[in-house]
Amino acid sequence: MTENHRTPHATLPAPPFYRHIPIAALDGDALLSLSRRMKLSLSREDMLQVQAIFTDWGREPTDVELEVIAQTWSEHCKHRIFGATITHTGPEGPETIRSLFKTFIKDMSERVFARKPGFVISAFHDNAGFIRLDDQRAVCLKVETHNHPSAIEPYAGANTGLGGVIRDILGAGRGAKPIGSLDVFCFGPPDVSQAGIRGEDVIHPLGIMRGVVRGVRDYGNRMGIPTVSGAIQFDDAYIYNPLVFCGTAGVIAIKDIPKEVLPGQLIIAVGGRTGRDGLKGATFSSAALDTDSHAEDQQAVQIGNPIEEKKAADFVLAARDAGLIGFITDCGAGGFSSACGEMLSEGGGEIILDNAPLKEPGLISWEVFISESQERMVLSAAPGHLEALQALADLYETELTVLGKADGSGILKVRHHGEMVCELDCGRLHDAPVRHLRGHFTPPTGLPPGGDLPCDPPADLRRIFSDFAVVSREPIIREYDHEVQGNTVLKPLAGASGDAPQDAAVLRIDGSHRLMAMTQALLPEWGKTDPKAMGRACVDECFRQLVAAGADPDRIALLDNFCVGNPEDPDTLGALVESVKGLSALAEAYGAPFVSGKDSFYNYFETDDGPVSIPLTVLISGMGIVEDASHVTGASLRRPDSVLCVLGKTSAAMGGSIFARTNSHPALQVADFDHVAALERYRRYHQAVTQGWILSAHDIGEGGLAVALAEMAFSGKGGIEVSLDSLPVEGTVGRAARLFAETPGRLILEVSPGNLDALTSHFAGTAFATIGRAAADPSRLCVDWGDERVLNEDLAELKSLWKNGLTPYY
Amino acid sequence: MEKRPHALLLKYPGTNCDAETARALEATGFATTILPVSRLDRDHLEGVSLVVFSGGFSYGDYIMSGRVARLITEQRIASALEEFRDRGGYLLGICNGFQILTQMGLLPAGSLVHNTSGRFICRWAGLDKRSDAAPLSFLPDHFELPVAHAEGRFVTADPADAERYLAEGLAPLTYTDDINGSFAGIAGLQDKTGRVFGLMPHPERFLHRADHYDPDWDGDAQWGWGYHFFRSLHAAVSASSPVPCPA
Repeated sequence: MTENHRTPHATLPAPPFYRHIPIAALDGDALLSLSRRMKLSLSREDMLQVQAIFTDWGREPTDVELEVIAQTWSEHCKHRIFGATITHTGPEGPETIRSLFKTFIKDMSERVFARKPGFVISAFHDNAGFIRLDDQRAVCLKVETHNHPSAIEPYAGANTGLGGVIRDILGAGRGAKPIGSLDVFCFGPPDVSQAGIRGEDVIHPLGIMRGVVRGVRDYGNRMGIPTVSGAIQFDDAYIYNPLVFCGTAGVIAIKDIPKEVLPGQLIIAVGGRTGRDGLKGATFSSAALDTDSHAEDQQAVQIGNPIEEKKAADFVLAARDAGLIGFITDCGAGGFSSACGEMLSEGGGEIILDNAPLKEPGLISWEVFISESQERMVLSAAPGHLEALQALADLYETELTVLGKADGSGILKVRHHGEMVCELDCGRLHDAPVRHLRGHFTPPTGLPPGGDLPCDPPADLRRIFSDFAVVSREPIIREYDHEVQGNTVLKPLAGASGDAPQDAAVLRIDGSHRLMAMTQALLPEWGKTDPKAMGRACVDECFRQLVAAGADPDRIALLDNFCVGNPEDPDTLGALVESVKGLSALAEAYGAPFVSGKDSFYNYFETDDGPVSIPLTVLISGMGIVEDASHVTGASLRRPDSVLCVLGKTSAAMGGSIFARTNSHPALQVADFDHVAALERYRRYHQAVTQGWILSAHDIGEGGLAVALAEMAFSGKGGIEVSLDSLPVEGTVGRAARLFAETPGRLILEVSPGNLDALTSHFAGTAFATIGRAAADPSRLCVDWGDERVLNEDLAELKSLWKNGLTPYY
Repeated sequence: MEKRPHALLLKYPGTNCDAETARALEATGFATTILPVSRLDRDHLEGVSLVVFSGGFSYGDYIMSGRVARLITEQRIASALEEFRDRGGYLLGICNGFQILTQMGLLPAGSLVHNTSGRFICRWAGLDKRSDAAPLSFLPDHFELPVAHAEGRFVTADPADAERYLAEGLAPLTYTDDINGSFAGIAGLQDKTGRVFGLMPHPERFLHRADHYDPDWDGDAQWGWGYHFFRSLHAAVSASSPVPCPA
C-alpha cells in the first residue's frame, strides 16, 4: 500500500527513513483505522480534514507530515476540549459554549488586565505568563501535568515532568531564571490492599508515591531549584490514574520578555541529544490508559538527565544576558516538531534533520522530528551571534547545533538525507476541526448541611489529624532541597520549632526589595457534590493563602490546571463546565487573572469491570507580589500572651469536608460564601499586615477551625484557649460545623494585646471576632462552647499524630 | 586597584550554589569570580586568596560524590591547588565542595557517604564549635545552619581516626544531634595548615536573619550565622600575607 522512497546513498538508515502514506482514496472508516494503526490519536473528523488539505495540495502526505499534524492537533498541545463547542445543560438551562478557554479563562482575564494596566506583562501566548514584580523585573509561574508517564514509570515520569516545566521557564521570554518549584500529587491511599486493585501491572500507590517523590527530588535538587510548595490528595479513584502536577516559577528582566524569530535567523538546538525515548508522548497522553499501556507505551516515557539540563540552563541564562537570543522555546511534547513549528509556523523556514545530534544512529525521519528526548532547547539567533553562542556552549559544556534557518517563506520545510520529508503550510494547520461535545449537570437538591451532625470533638479531631489529607508532608518535604539559591524566606515548614505547616512559600528575588509568594489549592472532594462551589473554593483558598502570607491582594495572578476523566461523557464534561464557571467568576471578582493553564483529559483506566475515572480535579496555583520583607507572615503562633481573632463567617454546610468524609456521611451541602465581603476582609487584612499588627495568620481550610488552631500551636510557643461563642457565623451553626466546617473565606489572626483595639476598629463592620488567646502553657488546646469545654487536648499528642502520619508510608 | 581579597569559585557542571555563595562572599568583603571549570588553568589562581568549591551535584554525583570533579580538576591543573595552599592560599568547600576537597585528599582522610537514613535531608542542624578555625572565629560555641545533603555522613577507615581528628582540632565543627550518622558527629573539617576548610552545612543560606525558620530568632538583629562565618573567613584571609603569584 505504501510507496517507499529509497535512495542509493550508502549511509542511509535502512529500511526507508520516510514514506508517503496514500490517504486520498480512503473513506472515513479507513482513515480512522489508519489513525489508530499509526497511534496518531486523530479522530475521523480530523483525518477527513487532513485528507481535504492534502487533496487541495494535490499530493499524499508523508509519515513525517502526519506525525507533525497529530502532534500539533493533539489534545496535549492544542487543548481541543477547552476549545470545543459544548452544548451544556446546567442549573441555568441549556446553552452553547463556544470554547471554555476563550469564554471563561481568556476573555475574563483580559477584562482584569484592562482593570490593572501594567500588572500582567504577557499571558497565554508564551511558555508562561509574566506579572510585574517591580520597574525592572517580572515573575512567572507555569504548572504542567505528567500523569500518564508517572502511572507507568513513576520515577522517570515525575523526574521528566519537573524537568519539562523547568524548561518551560527557561523558554519563557528570552529565558527566565527558574527560582522555585511546586509539586502536587494525587495518589491512591497508601494503605490500600494490592488485592483490591483491579488491573494487572497497575503499580501500588506506595510504589507510585515513592517513585514520584524521588523523581521530583532528583531533578529539582540537582538543578538547584528549591521545591518550596506542594500538596497531596489521596482517593481510591487515583489508584489507576495518579496525577502529578509540576510547577516552576521564574524571574526575568522585563526588557528580556519580547521574543521574535526573524527571517535569516538560525534555528539552533542546545542541550541533550535526540533518541528513541519519549516517542509519541503527546499523543499517548491524549488517550485513556489500560492494562496494555503498561506493557506497550514504555517508549513514551522519557529518561531524565538533570545535569544535562543544568548545563543548558547555565548556557541559556548567559546567552540571554549577552543579548544573543532572538527567540527561545523548549522541546516538550512533540519535540522538534512542536518547537520548530512554534518558531517557523508564521515565517517559515527549513530544518535539516541530519544536523540533529543523535543518541543512537539509524533514527528515521519522523522519530528525529517528534522525539521528546529531554533537556533540549531550541532558539533562534542572528548568524553573527553564532560564534559567541558556541563559545558559551563550550564554556558550560553543552552541545549546540544549527538545525536550520528561518526564511520568511511561510512554509515549514524539513529535509533529511537530501530529501524533503515534510513541507507544510502551517497556516492550514492552525485551525484543527472544532470538536462538538455535550455537557450535562444537575445539581443535587435537598441535601442537608450537616453542621449539626453528631460530633465527639476529641475523637473527631484525632481522626482528622490521622487522615492522609491532613498529616504532615514532612517526610517528603525534607527530601526536597527547599533552600537552595538561599532565598526561601517563608519555608514550607517553619515556626519556632521549624516543622509547622505554612500557607504559602515566599521567595526573595535577587536585586529587588520585593518578594514573591506562591501556593496552590485543590479540593476534589467538593467537586463530587458541587463542582461550581469547588471552583470557587479553590480560587478563594489559593488567593487567601497568598494574602495570609503577605501578598498584596491586588497583585495576585492564578493558574488553572484541570485533570478530567472522559470528556465524551456528558456528566464528566458538565461537571467541568460548572467548575470553570465557578472559578472564572470568582477570579474576576477578586481581580486575580489567569495567566497560564493546562488541561489533561482521558484520566480514566479501562478495567475488566468498566472504566475507573478520577474525580474532576482542579488545581489553582497562584503567585502574589509581597511588597516588603516585613510583610511576610507565617502561620505559626509566636507569643504565649497574644490574642486570637477569626475573620470570616462559618456556615453549617459540611459537604466535601474531611469531617464528613471520615464519618462516611452521605452527600451534604457544600459551603457557599459571600465573596464580596471576603475580598473586603482580605484587603483590610493586608492593610493590617502593612501596619505591622499581625504576628501570624493561618487559613482555615481542610479540617476546619480546630485543626487550624492546633496547627498554629505546633510551633510550641503557646497553648490555645478559645471560645466558639463569639465565632462569626452564617445562620444556625452547630458544634460540628463550628469546629470542623471548611467554609471558605476564613483566617485566624494572632495579634499582640496592644494592637487589638486598633485591629478591632480596623475590621469594624466585617465578620471579625476575638475568639480567645494564646496560653502560657504550650501543652493544651482548649475550646469552649457555652459552659462546655468541648476540647481540652494534649497538643504534643495531636502533633505526634499529625507529624508521624505519613512516616510509615514514606 | 582592587583591595578586597579575591575569591575564585569553581563551577562544575551541576554546581548550583555558586551564586548565593558569591553573594555571601561579596557581602562580607570579598571580590568574587565564578569560573566554569572548562576554562580552568593554573593562571586563574593568580592573585586569588581563596578558592571556593560551592554546593551542588558536580557531574550529577552518580558515582561517589565529588569523585569526577576531583579527576577533572587534577586533569586540568594537577597539583596547583596544593601549591596554592602551600603559598598561603585558602580553600573552602561547602557540601558538594566538602566532598570534592575530601576526594582530593586536601582534608584529613575519610569519606562522605550516604546518610544512615538513606535519604536526602533538607533541615536545619545545631552545630558545636569544637576548636578554632578560620571561618568560625566570630561564631559562638553553639549555632545553627541549614543542611541539605544525601551523602553527608563522614566516615573514616578506623572510627578512632574521627575521634583523633576531634582531639587534634582537625574537626572544628560537629552536629549537636546525630542527623546523618557521621563518625564523631563531624560536620566540618580543616587541614593542619588551617587554610583548608570543608563543611556539609550551608552558611551561604543563612546570610540574613530573615533566612531563619523562626521569625523571632534572636541571634542577631540583621545577619544570620552564615554572615559571621564568611566574615570570620574574610578576617583570616585579610590578615595573612598576600598570596604571591605562581611562578
